[in-house]
Amino acid sequence: MRLTRRDFAAGIAAGIAAPYLIKSAHAQGATIKIGMCAPVTGPAAESGGYAIKGAKLALEAVNKAGGILGKQGELIVEDDQTTNPGIVLAFSKLASQPDIVGFLGSIRSTQVHAMAPDVIKLGKPVMIGGTDPNLTHMGNQWLFRCRPNDSYSGRVIAEYGVTTLAKKKWAVLHSTDAFGTAGGKALTGALEKLGAPPVLDQGYANQSQDFTPVVLAIKQSGADILGSYFTFENDLGIFARQLRQLGVNIPWVGSPSIVNITALKLAGPALYNTYGVADYAEDSSEGSKAFGKIYRDAVKVAPDNQSSWTFDAINVMAQAINKAGTTEPAKIREAILAIRKFAGAEGEYNFDQNGDGLHGYNIVKNEKGNITFDKHIEFND
Amino acid sequence: MDLALQLLFTGIGIGAVYALVALGFVLIFRATNVVNFAQGEFSMVAAYLMVVAVEAGLPYWAAFIVALLGMALLGVVFNLGVYYPLRHRSYLPVIIATIGASILLANSVLAIYGPQPQVLEGWFETPGIQVGPVYLDSQYLLIIGVTICLVIFNFWFFEKTLLGKKLQATSQDKEMASLLGISVSTMIMITFIYSAVLGGLAGILVAPVLFVSIQMGSTIALKAFAATIIGGFGDVAGAIIGGLALGLIETFGAAYISVPYKDGFAFLVLIAFLIFRPQGIFGERVAEKA
Repeated sequence: MRLTRRDFAAGIAAGIAAPYLIKSAHAQGATIKIGMCAPVTGPAAESGGYAIKGAKLALEAVNKAGGILGKQGELIVEDDQTTNPGIVLAFSKLASQPDIVGFLGSIRSTQVHAMAPDVIKLGKPVMIGGTDPNLTHMGNQWLFRCRPNDSYSGRVIAEYGVTTLAKKKWAVLHSTDAFGTAGGKALTGALEKLGAPPVLDQGYANQSQDFTPVVLAIKQSGADILGSYFTFENDLGIFARQLRQLGVNIPWVGSPSIVNITALKLAGPALYNTYGVADYAEDSSEGSKAFGKIYRDAVKVAPDNQSSWTFDAINVMAQAINKAGTTEPAKIREAILAIRKFAGAEGEYNFDQNGDGLHGYNIVKNEKGNITFDKHIEFND
Repeated sequence: MDLALQLLFTGIGIGAVYALVALGFVLIFRATNVVNFAQGEFSMVAAYLMVVAVEAGLPYWAAFIVALLGMALLGVVFNLGVYYPLRHRSYLPVIIATIGASILLANSVLAIYGPQPQVLEGWFETPGIQVGPVYLDSQYLLIIGVTICLVIFNFWFFEKTLLGKKLQATSQDKEMASLLGISVSTMIMITFIYSAVLGGLAGILVAPVLFVSIQMGSTIALKAFAATIIGGFGDVAGAIIGGLALGLIETFGAAYISVPYKDGFAFLVLIAFLIFRPQGIFGERVAEKA
């Protein structure tokens, strides 16, 4: 067969056009794809598994109820390895797939900071669980938070300790990563406003093998209450055990990790009678109870915020896409910001213009390993 | 003073853990002239073996024996699968192979057992005892006790037994040892078994304190590696002293200077040694002839 110049030109044109046509066909494919960066490996692999289960349960329910824009939703998960480089790599892999319409980022603020520049470049909505207040206040219009931020948690911890528990000599302990630093700062600021500046403000590096110096510093400070922001449950477990072993039994109000399933398992009795600010508390609302039942039936484990925020993130995104009637990112963004009184597992979502969906926290108590709901504190700002 | 005593105990306890893992590094380095970067994973694998055996219903002591036997087997497989095929190559391919093996071990445990961190109960029902102002964690007491016993055992084994002397001869000069009728490959096999068991012992002992997780090995190994350099690479006493020194430096540094920079102190000392005394505390200066 003789190859003419015309055949050759047509072949080249087809070769150049084919990838674009295939991508375009994918974008208009049979499913609506949502990408998710989750820790499948690394120190947070266990909680990452819970996060994936929460997202999958939500998507199953969405699909049963008619799907997204009449199509079935599909979750594409990439391992973020619980590291910053890991999440950047995972997000770039997902971002290279043009048919993914929205994403779930991390519950860890430091990882969200790492991926944030790529999120701006991509220009598609990313739901996040990181609670560093700065994440939604640094000009990145594509980040939407499905958990209350730490400006609220700091105020709730301070308010509860000072007013309800009547304690004024605070030791504040926090991780030195982005989440812990922001949380510690928020708590310290809230305590200062309440006239109870901390007697000890102590940072620690993640993945410590020993907390003896920290416990002794708390002991020596004369603090009568402890407020904490722990990033990893392993650290929290080691610290809790050493705290009790070295005879420190002051009241302890912690950030949400203190009531995580993994932390409860590792620390055991060392966390009995502690308090936590929890974005997810099973008895705090009808939406929380409904999620709790679905999750327990499916996973056979008690639910916590690792799974509840991803459950809500999928539901919020599905509702926003359906409301927008298109997968165009700017329209989805507008639809997310317009969401009001959405009953999620974590509480009632009312998105503000920064992208924060929740504005309050629950206070819970660890009663011999059972997490009991005390009260919900909502803020209007 | 009370504070210092408490820190002293904890520093020695955590230092003893580093020392146990560092011993494994040293033994393999002496026998093969390469650093086994999977030594930390030996600790992790043993801790998981222990958890599995306890969950299977074995008594604690039996689970301990099963875990150590498993580690001996891993030592054999590691030698045959990772070191032996590369024994005639330079040190670099072997080191890379050990890094690869460490990744393989970590991901294998992750695939088989899942990512859930586990709680392993300690040997004693009492978590610790209060002696005056100092709380003595029973697990750390056990770790310190085992480390002391191993120091004595190692001295006796390497200095007083024929097998120990054969191992020493092999580590000093393989060719000469071979000419004297010593089976070098057998000696290296024994070294790998002993190092795997030592690493495993460290993992099992430290598991009740640090929990059992995929990352536990790499966290300890990094410090143990630093301890090995501080003590003097290739020296058994150096590994012990280096481990204890590192544990004390980071504990006291955290308490009296800064908690967040705890790891920084350990590596600052490491850098200082690399600059001013690269052969470590017990190492001998190696000079090259002109």
